Amino acid sequence: MLFYAVFVILPVLFTGALALSSGVRPGLSDMTFAGADNFASLFSDGSSFLFPVLTNTLLYAVGTTVLTTVGGLVAALCLARLPGQGLWRTLYFLPVVTNLVATGNAWKHLYQPDGPLNALLNTLGMDSVGFLQNPATALPSVMIVQSWASLGSAVLILSAGLTTVPRDCLEAAELDGAGPLTILIRITIPLLRPALLFVSITQLLAGLQSFALITVMTENGGPGDTTNVAALEMYRRAFTYGDWGTASAAAFVLLLITLTLALAQLRLFEREGKDT
Amino acid sequence: MTLKLLSHYGEGALKDELQRAVDDWNAGQSRSRVETVPVRFEDLLTTVVVRQAAGQGADILHLYALWTGQLVRAGVLRPIPAHDVRLVRSGFPNAATQAVSVEGTVFGYPTEGQTYGLYCNRRLLAAAGAAGPPRTWRELEAVARAATRRDHHGNTVVQGLALSRGDDSDSVNQVLALVAARGGAFLTPDGRRCALGSPSGEAVFSLQRRLVRSGVTDPAIDMYTAFSAGRAAMAVNGRWWCGSLLASMGERYHDVLTTALPGGRGTLATAYLMGVNTQCRHPEPAWEFVRWLNADSTRIAGALVTRMSALQWVAGSMTARIADIQALFGEHGDPNARPFLDALAYATPEPNGPKAQQAKALLRKNIEEMWSGRLSAAEAIGITCRQVDRELCHPG
Repeated sequence: MLFYAVFVILPVLFTGALALSSGVRPGLSDMTFAGADNFASLFSDGSSFLFPVLTNTLLYAVGTTVLTTVGGLVAALCLARLPGQGLWRTLYFLPVVTNLVATGNAWKHLYQPDGPLNALLNTLGMDSVGFLQNPATALPSVMIVQSWASLGSAVLILSAGLTTVPRDCLEAAELDGAGPLTILIRITIPLLRPALLFVSITQLLAGLQSFALITVMTENGGPGDTTNVAALEMYRRAFTYGDWGTASAAAFVLLLITLTLALAQLRLFEREGKDT
Repeated sequence: MTLKLLSHYGEGALKDELQRAVDDWNAGQSRSRVETVPVRFEDLLTTVVVRQAAGQGADILHLYALWTGQLVRAGVLRPIPAHDVRLVRSGFPNAATQAVSVEGTVFGYPTEGQTYGLYCNRRLLAAAGAAGPPRTWRELEAVARAATRRDHHGNTVVQGLALSRGDDSDSVNQVLALVAARGGAFLTPDGRRCALGSPSGEAVFSLQRRLVRSGVTDPAIDMYTAFSAGRAAMAVNGRWWCGSLLASMGERYHDVLTTALPGGRGTLATAYLMGVNTQCRHPEPAWEFVRWLNADSTRIAGALVTRMSALQWVAGSMTARIADIQALFGEHGDPNARPFLDALAYATPEPNGPKAQQAKALLRKNIEEMWSGRLSAAEAIGITCRQVDRELCHPG
């Protein structure tokens, strides 16, 4: 309880105090009560926080969740049919244990205008793509890397989930003449629901709080604001500009969004428990 | 006692020369030692802000003068002692003194003064049929177009005019230098409003938009690599780049030619300062070191100059001290330095108000949006002005 109070409750209260104050130093003696000014500033006309920062954050979180969950499911289903599953799972899990900064830098190199991916495209007779330089492709390019980096943990959880699907049900469906696609949609996926739900919710929450990979790959959320997300915006406001008030207000807005989604997760799990 | 000196001189000649000076100081001291803490320029402001908030700010700070207003407002920088104020006012040009001052109070010694000029690759200009560097805006655009080369996949092989999209300073400083060359400025003289909606701002934004659209410049390509590899005919940058190019290009540095920006009536001046932290528990020895490095003389290349000027000269960068510039660059040195030294007389100092870095970041974002084609030149200027005005009005 003491640990929780020191490392969770006190920082949240202090952030709340900062969000409601103005001051150029994050010290209690320098705070001046500012009411909801910092929140109003975040959402005022001309502010980039709602659009594109928050919309980018949600797009990034939802996009990486869909890519990781679908990719993880496809990979887990394929692995279930391959010999030497342990080796394949280890290979898939390697990006998860690789340092995210190293991952980001490696992909940044791959994405360069004169990098290997564009060389491949050129060899295939296609024009080069400014993966991280073009506003249309920058955010999706980072989302792909985030999904690739977290695919291993999704595969691990979904593979474990697949082992819990009763063979009797699959065999009975086969005897009744159901094809592989029908079995997948009608039997496997519904029985995998708890694992799928866990993967998607954890990915969504991780996506909402993403910071490191974007900082490594696009440094300042560019081009323009196209890869700027809430965590990066907070970081810059607080630790570059010393604007602790609006940074803390932004942290509270993100906390509210994350909390809403976490509560939705709890409700879904409760429903899941009642259904099964 | 040990005094920590935080600086972005963390690699190459600048790091070596700063360390050499610090070693000289430490060798002659029994009471205080100085220890350098190098940090990447991109992380410098964040390091200062975070360490200060944690009560662990370095004793001596070597900073980009753009941040003076922000760090003075946050209570990071001490005003310099009265004796040093006189040394600063008498030894440095007005642009450098202004850059390290807030409302008339001086907060450090200017260490490095940069002005911006046009870097050209003689070989590529000659290949484009240009007799020399462009002198007018029309010539600049024509030469840039003539020098551009693309392969059959549409990849840029040679850029006519390279633009850099590294950090805020990279992309913004080259735009503001061009705006200043056309007689404009980023902010109004009182620093309270954006002034880019001028004919100068519109002309520069439109020029960049045209060049990007027609493929004469490709901001996706790293300007520094492209120019030193002979794949960019022209680029706008500060004097410090001469030293880096000399190191990276070797013999091919003979291809490099620098000149004033077209029009020759204005450019941007940026500066760095060395000051003492309010959290420093031993300010007197800290100021002694700063004074020793920035005001006491030493002999180099037959000239009597300050240790900081010697350091800048050896590293191929530019000191901000008038007498030392004359002594070091009178007969010696790189002829490519001349346009930058001449520009000291007419360059406009960068605004250094409490929200200068935020304003610069907003401008950088909109410049990038314009380069990518999502905003027209007029839209980019309009949005920048609205956002910057709003930020400068917000008290936070």
